[in-house]
Amino acid sequence: MFFTLNGERADIPVDWVDESLLFILREPFGLMGAKFGCGAGLCGACTVIVDGVATRSCTMRAGDAEGLAVRTIEGLSDGDRLHPVQQAWLDVAVPQCGYCQAGQIMAAVALLEQAPRPTTDDINAAMNGNLCRCGAYARIRAAIARAAEAA
Amino acid sequence: MRRRTFLAAGAGGLVALVGAGAAVWSRVPVIPKRPAPDPATALGWIAYRDARFTLTLPRAEMGQNIATALKQIACAELGADWHAVEVRLHDTRIARVKATVGSESVMLFAEPLAQACAALRDALAAGRTGGSVAVSPRPVSELRAFRPGDLIGASPEIVQGREIVTGAPLYAADWGVPGMLFGRVLRAPASVELSSRPARWNLEAAGAVPGFVAVVEDCGPAIGNAQGLGIVARRPGLLDAIAAALAVEWDIAGAHPVSDIARVVDIDSRLGAGPLPHRVLDGSPKDGPWDVDLRLDVPMAAHAPIEPRAAVAAWRDGALSVRTGTQDAFYVRDFLADAFGIGLEAVTVHSCRIGGGFGGKTLCTVEAEAAALARAAGGPVKVQWTRAQEFALGFHRLPSSHRVRVRVRDGQITDWDHAQVSSHILFTAAAVPAWMQRGTDAFAGDGGVARGMAAPYRLGRARASYDAVRLPVHTGPWRGLGAGPNALAIESAIDEAAQAAGADPLVFRLAHVADAHLATVLTRVGELARWGAPATAAEGQRVGRGFACGIYKKTSYAAAIADVAVDANGRTCVTRLWCAHDCGLVINPDQVRAQCEGNLVWSIGMVLLDSLPIDGGHVTPETFADAPIPRLTDVPPITVELIASERPPSGAGETAIVAGPGAIANAVRAATGRSPVRFPLRPEEFAA
Repeated sequence: MFFTLNGERADIPVDWVDESLLFILREPFGLMGAKFGCGAGLCGACTVIVDGVATRSCTMRAGDAEGLAVRTIEGLSDGDRLHPVQQAWLDVAVPQCGYCQAGQIMAAVALLEQAPRPTTDDINAAMNGNLCRCGAYARIRAAIARAAEAA
Repeated sequence: MRRRTFLAAGAGGLVALVGAGAAVWSRVPVIPKRPAPDPATALGWIAYRDARFTLTLPRAEMGQNIATALKQIACAELGADWHAVEVRLHDTRIARVKATVGSESVMLFAEPLAQACAALRDALAAGRTGGSVAVSPRPVSELRAFRPGDLIGASPEIVQGREIVTGAPLYAADWGVPGMLFGRVLRAPASVELSSRPARWNLEAAGAVPGFVAVVEDCGPAIGNAQGLGIVARRPGLLDAIAAALAVEWDIAGAHPVSDIARVVDIDSRLGAGPLPHRVLDGSPKDGPWDVDLRLDVPMAAHAPIEPRAAVAAWRDGALSVRTGTQDAFYVRDFLADAFGIGLEAVTVHSCRIGGGFGGKTLCTVEAEAAALARAAGGPVKVQWTRAQEFALGFHRLPSSHRVRVRVRDGQITDWDHAQVSSHILFTAAAVPAWMQRGTDAFAGDGGVARGMAAPYRLGRARASYDAVRLPVHTGPWRGLGAGPNALAIESAIDEAAQAAGADPLVFRLAHVADAHLATVLTRVGELARWGAPATAAEGQRVGRGFACGIYKKTSYAAAIADVAVDANGRTCVTRLWCAHDCGLVINPDQVRAQCEGNLVWSIGMVLLDSLPIDGGHVTPETFADAPIPRLTDVPPITVELIASERPPSGAGETAIVAGPGAIANAVRAATGRSPVRFPLRPEEFAA
């Protein structure tokens, strides 16, 4: 069993098939960007993109990713050149503690791929499930606007 | 560790005492040490080798982005290029530093760091490139790091920002070690103040789960009085299945004497039982009638950091190494040495970036669990709390019940009486046993509860008093400590006093403010928001504008204005926020603004959302659905202005929480004509 992980084939270890996609990314594959926040798909810290759709990896079974294309924050940049969303995030200095940020960024990337000029309603719908306890929400809006302009 | 073994470890520094009035053995808890930083210690934070500097951050990094601010201080003082200084988080092999709490990192640590950097700069200028440097402190006016210009007052790219946006490992749970196992310590679903322990469990069923490794009875100290049962597995996702299969039955010792928190944390029934023991303002207001007589109740709230606390522990040759995201690595080290009966030198705690602290990651819990499980398993173990454990086993913002009475004559406040009953913060039951807390209650009160209770106004004959009650739930430091709830009560009463005097709320405050810095932020936010102009319009809804201000820890100032819209069903939406903020000389204005923005979002939570379901002293939420926190759509456009100042830097991490909640509550009053007094607001009380 395998899926595509940031463009490359990733074999699912047999005994990890029933683990969550989040834990298989973090532990055997060592990709620590997506975070465990609640385990119930309610905070968004574990958000990755599966076949183009922002997905809560903590509630998706690893085996169910078979044959799908999974993208994580580690696959966004092109070498040292950051993805426009990553760059906008730094330019606006969105992160405080930073723990939710990989999930926020992946949700924003998925949004901008579907709606390059998102309306306020688009942003609210796409991002409202991604919690940030530090309260960086105004900057998240600003960074999405900046990334949309840059694209 | 079983209780018997635990006490037997006494030779390693534990002291056993007979608890006052009870035939039980009680331990003296490990008390956090809080040394003030000095320039000689600071020499250990900065090093030079091969034309590069290493700054070992003496603070925990939890999103206040103190790494960036202190790097600015170091670079400015050294005259070093930004890229010539590498920042590392500290471990407990540096000289002890106090906990990262109380918004004091720039206030207390910037100057010693600058002194050390100045000494290092002089030594390098004299041609020295090796050996150790001595520091003789110079006047602050000679320190380059305290002169605005260049890096001081600039906002460079934040330290670790690139790692955050690329998903590089930074946090405790990101740490992987070969052969690492995954653990959890289960505890009874009951008040942590009740003695509880595992009685029976189904080992056979748990053992049948593929990937099961062990059940561990010797799983570290109790949390409160809740003894746990540890489980270890080869994969993290198995822990839920093993816990379910174990089906632990718990021995829980009876019921807590405080079965109904709301009945105990009730200021009117408490006042009926006699005067309150602790005084913050000691005047003698004349008896009624009063012009304002307001009862306010603020419930418990969780810190709810998005990162559930986590630790990775490993033992090697009797020495313990722990990676964790803690606000007090040295306290964690001291606690672990005490709990496992080993020397301080045998424990190393490595600080990781914290995924949100807010005062809640100041004790030692998950670290001891990981250490105990790693010892039992004979290999490294990672433990990360579940969201439900964060709620059930952490400590929380205390519930508080206030009565504020005000008398006004000819536009001036002549009498003021603020009474509060709540629980403990600094002497939290999460760390201080009941017998010791009886002593602190008798002799000291609790400065955390008292914080911000002295209203920053000329109040005439003014009294402020409180009582703190031990509850079946653990309460403790939460952003701003008592200052948030106290300021909400005070600023609500001041608004009603202005109303009673027939005065504009801003003009009324200015007439009572004694502090010029407070008057400045108050005036400035009024200009920013064009106070007097109508609130932001919202079609078909009642709108209102509210004002509030305050002083945090006597050194930082904030004033806020909020616009709200309240719909026909009484649901409140904050539509605009402004804040003027003065924390002295600002090292990094963008990050001070970020702290203000965060505090304003917490202010929205405090008024509209924060509460914590509790059943029989057990904090029951399992997910964010049971205890919501503010979301993107709860947050309006925010404007923050920092007052230019050359006063020494003071705190920024908690200040705006003294102004935001009052401004929002007062805006709801303006919009609806009703007093917001029970938080979080219940829509049905504000329906049209």
